[in-house]
Amino acid sequence: MKDPLLITAILAVAFYVFGYYRMIFVWSGLLLQVAYLFLRGAHLGRLPIIGPHDTLFFMSASTMLFAVPMTLGLKDRQRTLFPLTGLAVFFIFLSLLYKPHNTPLPPVLKTFWFEAHVALSFFSYALFGIAAVLGALYILNKDTGGSVSPPAIIESLQYKAILVGYCFFSAAMVFGGIWAYLAWGTYWLWTPKELWTVILWLFYSLYLHARLRQWWTGTPSAVLGIVGFIIVMFTYLGVSLFMKSSHTF
Amino acid sequence: MLKKVLSFFLSLRTAIGLLFALIFFLFFGSFVMPLREEFQALHAVPLFQWLAESPFSITWWLWVSLAILSLLTVNTLLCSLESVIKKRGARQWLLILSPQVIHAGFLFILLAHLLSSYGSFKGTTAVYKGSMLPLPNGLTVLFDEIRADVDQSGYVLNWAADIRYFKDGVQISGDSVLPNAPSFMNGFGIYIKTVRFEPYPSAIIEVSREPGAPWALAGGILFLAGMTTLLILKIRREEILEKDSGGRVKEEINGPNSTS
Repeated sequence: MKDPLLITAILAVAFYVFGYYRMIFVWSGLLLQVAYLFLRGAHLGRLPIIGPHDTLFFMSASTMLFAVPMTLGLKDRQRTLFPLTGLAVFFIFLSLLYKPHNTPLPPVLKTFWFEAHVALSFFSYALFGIAAVLGALYILNKDTGGSVSPPAIIESLQYKAILVGYCFFSAAMVFGGIWAYLAWGTYWLWTPKELWTVILWLFYSLYLHARLRQWWTGTPSAVLGIVGFIIVMFTYLGVSLFMKSSHTF
Repeated sequence: MLKKVLSFFLSLRTAIGLLFALIFFLFFGSFVMPLREEFQALHAVPLFQWLAESPFSITWWLWVSLAILSLLTVNTLLCSLESVIKKRGARQWLLILSPQVIHAGFLFILLAHLLSSYGSFKGTTAVYKGSMLPLPNGLTVLFDEIRADVDQSGYVLNWAADIRYFKDGVQISGDSVLPNAPSFMNGFGIYIKTVRFEPYPSAIIEVSREPGAPWALAGGILFLAGMTTLLILKIRREEILEKDSGGRVKEEINGPNSTS
């Protein structure tokens, strides 16, 4: 699988770079990523969402899957989409650093609840990533007026990405709880990963509550969106790398 | 005085401050947990029992987090009640009600954790084919059969145990236990963790009781129902606001009398 993976990665990155000039290339990159995930899933006989390689590639494809429709109708769409494409490309490169897991799933992971839990988690991570990029775009363009779209629109788009991401993330937590109860006899485990998942959920709860107050709209909420994604990346990769947990990916 | 307390709890600013504080203490705790062995035992006993038996020097952040969570519970409850009372006559009742459904889901999940923190039970043991296992609820489980599906390369695809429940020596029912498919009887769940066939067929079994589980499920369903409704309504509202804001931006660029 190594060569098809490299070819897919190189082609997808090339398509996304050319996507700055023509939207058709962005679509091509996305279709290529989806096709790769589909073929890999068919080859493995399961959703390709085990281990950092698969999950990072899945997150990259999810980023574009949400970014393309989200930016529809924006003035100078390509310039807003390009930084988001950059995020997807970053995840593709990161995924190449890890070896794909090609082994069958252990029995405890062969359940709809687990697959739904992981897929929804990475959909939400992708949306939180989009929100962070939009937050950065807002901050960079709010004073200069050089925004790709009016800053208020960008900030509103960031809010929508977080709202949808929060919904997916909450569903992922509920589904994860159901799976854990059926697999381990408890819906909650006291491990750093679970604790960070709650920190992440509380942080975006904080964002959604803070944005109801006038003071937090604009730059503060844009900053919160960026900080949130730093927490996402630590919850996803940092905890697994630096802390012992039941989640080993 | 009472008015001051009430205004503290009825404030969104309080909710934001409490969330910030809770995040901070959980953040701190996540770095303490991997360093201390005592936290390994936290899975085996109810939380409050573990807190009572463990040294305060390593659990203080958890006590503080629980205190903040208690304040957040009061804050959530009072703000939700106030919102429903104040806005009960409003036309967009679904937009007002859905955040309160989310809050109710959150409170149900907290209640679930509270119940589990007092009354949960977990025990792990190895059993053999023919073993009898007494349960804390007075029943006895007989392990009739332990089996596994193995593919040609020797990879274990699945495993299971056939069990029978007895009360006072009389069989009351039978069941099979598989990964992700435990057997439930009188509030206790029997879980099969793994199996071995050398030297004898044996299995690692976990017996568990989670009194908060039904509340957690109810809370999860409420939370997601409220969240989905709110999501649809909020995005629609944002689009209307965006159109207004877009209009203002056009006015700023082209002047108020512009027709473009």
